[in-house]
Amino acid sequence: MILATVLLPILSGVTVSLIRWKEKRQMHICTLAFTVLTSILVWVMILTPGAEEFTLLTFPGDLSIAFRMDGLSMVFSGMISLLWPLATLYSFEYMEHEEREKIFFLFYTMTYGVTLGIALAANILTMYFFYELLTIVTVPLVMHTLTRKAILASRKYMYYSLGGAAFAFLGMIFIISFGSTITFRLGGVLDMARVGTRTNALLLIYVFAFMGFGVKAAVCPFNSWLPDAGVAPTPVTALLHAVAVVKSGAFAIIRLTFYLFGTEFLKGTWAQYVVMTVTIVTIVYGCARAVKEPHIKRRLAYSTISNLSYILFGVTLMTPFGLVAALTHMIMHAVMKICSFFCAGAVICKAEREYVYELDGLGYSMPQTFGIFTVSSLALMGVPGLAGFVSKWNLANAAIDTGMPLAYAGVAALLVSAILTAIYMMTIVVRAFFPKDDYDTRVNLGIKDPGIRMLLPLYLFVIAMVILGFNNSFITDFFISIAG
Amino acid sequence: MNVMRVLPLQFHMDPLGAVFAVLTLIIFISSGVFGIDYMKGAKNRKSFGLFFVLSMLTEIALCAASNLVTFYMCYELLTVLSMPLVIHERTKEAKMAALKYLFFSLFGAYGALFGIYNLSRFASTLNFVQGGSISAEVFAADRGLLLAVAMALIAGFGVKAGMWPMHAWLPTAHPIAPSPASSALSACIVKAGVLGILRSIWYVYGADHLKGTWVQTVFIILTLITVFMGSMLAFKEPVLKKRLAYSTVSQVSYILFGLAVSFGAVDPYAAGGVSAHVSDAMTGAVLHVLAHGFIKAALFLIAGAIIHHTGATRVEDMRGIGLKMPVTMTCYTIVSLGLIGIPPTGGFVSKWYLATGAIATDIPVFMYLGPAVLLVSALLTAGYLLPLMITGFFPGAEYREKIKGQDIKCEPGPLMTIPIATLTLLSLLIGLFPEPVIALIRMIFV
Amino acid sequence: MDMVRNIPFFSIMLAMFSGPVCSVLPGKAARVVNAAVITFIMGMSAVLVCILNISGESFVYMMGHFPAPWGNEIRAGVLEAWMAMFFCVVMLLSVLGGIKKLFDEVVESKHNLYYVLVGLMLSSLLALVYTNDLFTAYVFVEINTISACGLIMIRENGRTIEAAVRYMVMSLIGSAMILLGICMLYDITGHLLMSNIKESVAAMTAGGNYPEPLLFTIALMSVGLAIKCALFPFHAWLPDAYGYSTVSSAAILSSLVSKGYIFLLIKIIYRVIGFEIYGDSGVIDVLFFFGLAGMIFGSVSAIRENDIRRMIAYSSVAQIGYIFMGIGMGTEFGMVASIFHMLSHASTKSLLFISAIGLTDVSDGSRRFEPLTGSAYRNKTAGLAFAVGSLSMVGVPLFSGFISKLLFAEAAVSLRYRMIPVLVVLGISTILNAIYFMKTVIRIYTPVENDSYPHVYLKDVPLYSVVLVAFVTLNVILGVLSDPIVELIRKGLAMFS
Repeated sequence: MILATVLLPILSGVTVSLIRWKEKRQMHICTLAFTVLTSILVWVMILTPGAEEFTLLTFPGDLSIAFRMDGLSMVFSGMISLLWPLATLYSFEYMEHEEREKIFFLFYTMTYGVTLGIALAANILTMYFFYELLTIVTVPLVMHTLTRKAILASRKYMYYSLGGAAFAFLGMIFIISFGSTITFRLGGVLDMARVGTRTNALLLIYVFAFMGFGVKAAVCPFNSWLPDAGVAPTPVTALLHAVAVVKSGAFAIIRLTFYLFGTEFLKGTWAQYVVMTVTIVTIVYGCARAVKEPHIKRRLAYSTISNLSYILFGVTLMTPFGLVAALTHMIMHAVMKICSFFCAGAVICKAEREYVYELDGLGYSMPQTFGIFTVSSLALMGVPGLAGFVSKWNLANAAIDTGMPLAYAGVAALLVSAILTAIYMMTIVVRAFFPKDDYDTRVNLGIKDPGIRMLLPLYLFVIAMVILGFNNSFITDFFISIAG
Repeated sequence: MNVMRVLPLQFHMDPLGAVFAVLTLIIFISSGVFGIDYMKGAKNRKSFGLFFVLSMLTEIALCAASNLVTFYMCYELLTVLSMPLVIHERTKEAKMAALKYLFFSLFGAYGALFGIYNLSRFASTLNFVQGGSISAEVFAADRGLLLAVAMALIAGFGVKAGMWPMHAWLPTAHPIAPSPASSALSACIVKAGVLGILRSIWYVYGADHLKGTWVQTVFIILTLITVFMGSMLAFKEPVLKKRLAYSTVSQVSYILFGLAVSFGAVDPYAAGGVSAHVSDAMTGAVLHVLAHGFIKAALFLIAGAIIHHTGATRVEDMRGIGLKMPVTMTCYTIVSLGLIGIPPTGGFVSKWYLATGAIATDIPVFMYLGPAVLLVSALLTAGYLLPLMITGFFPGAEYREKIKGQDIKCEPGPLMTIPIATLTLLSLLIGLFPEPVIALIRMIFV
Repeated sequence: MDMVRNIPFFSIMLAMFSGPVCSVLPGKAARVVNAAVITFIMGMSAVLVCILNISGESFVYMMGHFPAPWGNEIRAGVLEAWMAMFFCVVMLLSVLGGIKKLFDEVVESKHNLYYVLVGLMLSSLLALVYTNDLFTAYVFVEINTISACGLIMIRENGRTIEAAVRYMVMSLIGSAMILLGICMLYDITGHLLMSNIKESVAAMTAGGNYPEPLLFTIALMSVGLAIKCALFPFHAWLPDAYGYSTVSSAAILSSLVSKGYIFLLIKIIYRVIGFEIYGDSGVIDVLFFFGLAGMIFGSVSAIRENDIRRMIAYSSVAQIGYIFMGIGMGTEFGMVASIFHMLSHASTKSLLFISAIGLTDVSDGSRRFEPLTGSAYRNKTAGLAFAVGSLSMVGVPLFSGFISKLLFAEAAVSLRYRMIPVLVVLGISTILNAIYFMKTVIRIYTPVENDSYPHVYLKDVPLYSVVLVAFVTLNVILGVLSDPIVELIRKGLAMFS
């Protein structure tokens, strides 16, 4: 069954695109049906823990492609499977003003399967395989509009991703050579007897692998592909580049740190300092660039860069509490950012405005959209009562708990980032609802809120943000149980 | 693992909160009534009214918060909800001022948040408990860090209270809002910063820990600088509302000064059974919260009345205003005297307690420097408040010549004058009958 | 069982005689004969592989009746048989894939001559694979050179002639060096049979005699073979030769010719000089270094190319670098990785060349990148095949390139000082490969607005499509079922010496 969840989206995506549909609606319904079906399968597996491992292929030297659902897989796959149907629903309405829908949905659905493959991978070879596949299936999505900018952006994305994977590959080789097994295990798989005196080499390789996977997670200095990828249609940017692709990078780093190299081996070493510094720098860098960026989607992309490093900062703390905090933020941020991107997408789709300075007074023409955007802004800023506050609280506490001076720098970075977030999000809100005196109402004539297919996901996200803000014990308790 | 699972939202109105809440109610209601007349015919009335009421409710919730997280939530919400009041006019200046207000306040809030993160780790609980929740051993173990935390809390909340050097937003934001909002902002919303310091230091951190530390010294210095500088800038400022805003900067730091010298101070008049935590300076500070609140609200409403009926914004244009609006200007005189500190007004009592309290704390240097600065500031206050009264009532022969025979009375209607008069009366009452309030304050800190 | 022992000899002879036979037949018949011969040899080799695998030993076959030490000998083990079979497969597919172009580009009257050359080439490759003495090796090296030249030149235009001349000059320099080396070796050991030479060399090193001449010999032979393989920096002839000749030739040259020479080098290392002795000499480090350099420079040059076939040709330079890096590591695991990469590269490079020609055909014959935009939609099979080849080159799991990368990296981990350079260069090389291959893949899949070029469908070129599918399948098999293949290589290598 575990294989079915991975293959179903891939195969259904291919079949749906090959059939000649009489009516577009039929194709939409079919795609959505398969996506929902896959999500249901995933949740069935989550709720009935069985932990069976399924091996698909074997390679020389005890290597294999295998799948397994452990605690961390449940978190990631659970999150993805809840968000994908909503995003698919949203994209139906959005894609009405783009072309070549079939190709789009082909790759969109296939990406679902591939991402599940990453989530459900039982060992590093499988994860690496699906990681490379993810790059390949998402490039056509970035390239979709086929403008010159899109092609350049997709090229950049491909080079960066494949380059990052090359260095992550080194990490994989070392695990194969120095690990007692390649299957993920909490606490690490390194065979210390084999490692012997080559600790420094291993730490260096860890940093390489971190940066390699970190390319997809947009750490400095390999993050410039993400804002450029904003040229893709919004469902792509929102789901992939705010949720699936970048979170896969973070997920891979979590696996690398906690389940392969092991925090016992890494804690307190120079490698930890290096990666922690990288995340702290990225946190501030992302926000700083976001403040100056006039294009809405690029601004949100920079915000993603920064927020991802919140998650990675939690990971580099290398304590169970750090992991819990990181996972909390992974979930919270996914919801908040996908909500923001969808609002931005609605604006682009219905009003054809892409830049912040074009948004004057639009809040009165699209009140629901901008109202929801305000809520997600407040959430990203960390106002208590909404999703973002709790995850930042946990991150800060986890950092302070370690007692490392560098961790305090991280907390300071979190707060600096919070004020910068306030600046770059609230300026949009203020512009939309409090335009200058002399703005011309006629400019915004005829622009309305989007239809139910776009609004429904948005409202669901708002409800989620509020609920998570007040009581997230049902997921946090689960995180604590898997972090040990 | 100190993982936050459920947002710890708790409300409970204790006496301290009640004091602040009552102040909020009185100020907002008075300003609101005033606003009904003032905002007649203005655009975006509905949005103004909406955010006005929301701000009031949020601030009352803030007073009723019984732990630091709830307090922080209301604090952030208050900033966000009061921002639309500043941007009301929708001009470029209004927008700039509103954004400045928003970002300064949030900056301060996040600075305080740094302190709150650390508190959650060192204090046994974030609920408000008299005397704080950090034990002496815990404090001694991480002294350096915890002192930095205290400074972060004070500086962070101090931004909203307009403490130097983070005061720059106040003279920009308060004047540009419509007068009812200015009054609420200056009299009330800045007090949220004061309450923040009170709650976080006295009720979670434990003020005794800070006695004699560098944090206390720095705090005192900052407040004294603000007191002096605010008065000086007010003295030189020609635009009335801006002058009043600088005055707020200065006056609120009187309150903060009182708090600063009260860390771990012992009440010299305390008999057995009364808490040793209440010093005279603290009493003076809380009294001044009330006194300044009433006075400044009245002042802003008066300024609003002047602008509304004569269109004059600069003091030099307000010659003879006393003749035009005698009732209003009489109130002005009374509250000005109060702010300067002349008995029997409320301002006098609070400043008295502040000064004597400062001396009684025995803090080297500042026990004398403080009162001295307060005195100088009082003189400056006279300097910036009295001229309007003087030229208002005694505009000079020239002026009288000009207006001979004209009926220049433009007294504002009852919806405006009654709130002003009420506030004036309250400021007088608190000066004439301070005992109940003082007793209440003493009781709070048991 | 005895019949089986004749297989290597039969293979070589059959291939050689198909040459003259084809020269008298008309074009079409020659083609059939050629294909039949290759298929037959392939079948025989497959049988040999199975039998040797089961029996687990190799055998020696004396040719002629001259006794050792001067006579000719053939030796067959699992590895040799497997290589022979594989070479046949690739050659068959390459020839079939490029047949249509052959008709277009070569003069009618010369068609049958092409098959003569192919036959000769095949025979020389088989001989290099099976030979057990240096004299035979040299003879067939020369035959190989000549047939290769012919293969380049058969498409007559200025560029190919220039390329062929360049190739000839460089190749003959290489051959001369090899000859010199063989002569010196004969001088100091007095033998021509490989096993005998090995004993002498061992005795010599133990006794400390002739250290410098031995080193010189090793160097000459290695460098000579390296020149012929186009190892950096001796690769100048390669882009023109691969770039401008007809596509079957390009495929055969890039996939097989260099592999033959490399196999000979490996043989020399194991069976002539001896693994340890070879490793002790400094030559292996030189090969290692040039291998690394080739990996980088080949890719860098490929990035700068604007012509798709030259780009693929430069990619070959890089891939040869990989193989020499593996040999240069000096460990058994490195050798296994190199041999696997020989197989992987052979299948992939042919695939790339043949699919590239499909793409250029639907772009008005132009090889520059601009006209190639969107060509994958015009010829779907070629586009897909090219994408598969590119992904294999980059090292995406599921394809053979990934397994090669994996093996090289695993081999590197056990080295002491060379590990980090190898890994870093592997990483950089992957990125570089990604750059030029993926750029091309994106380009051919970028749809064009008004597509005025002709479209080609499956039914138009059935043979071509079948060949491409076969190559892709081969690649995937190597990528997915690599376990038994690597085992086979290991076993064969153990038998080798």
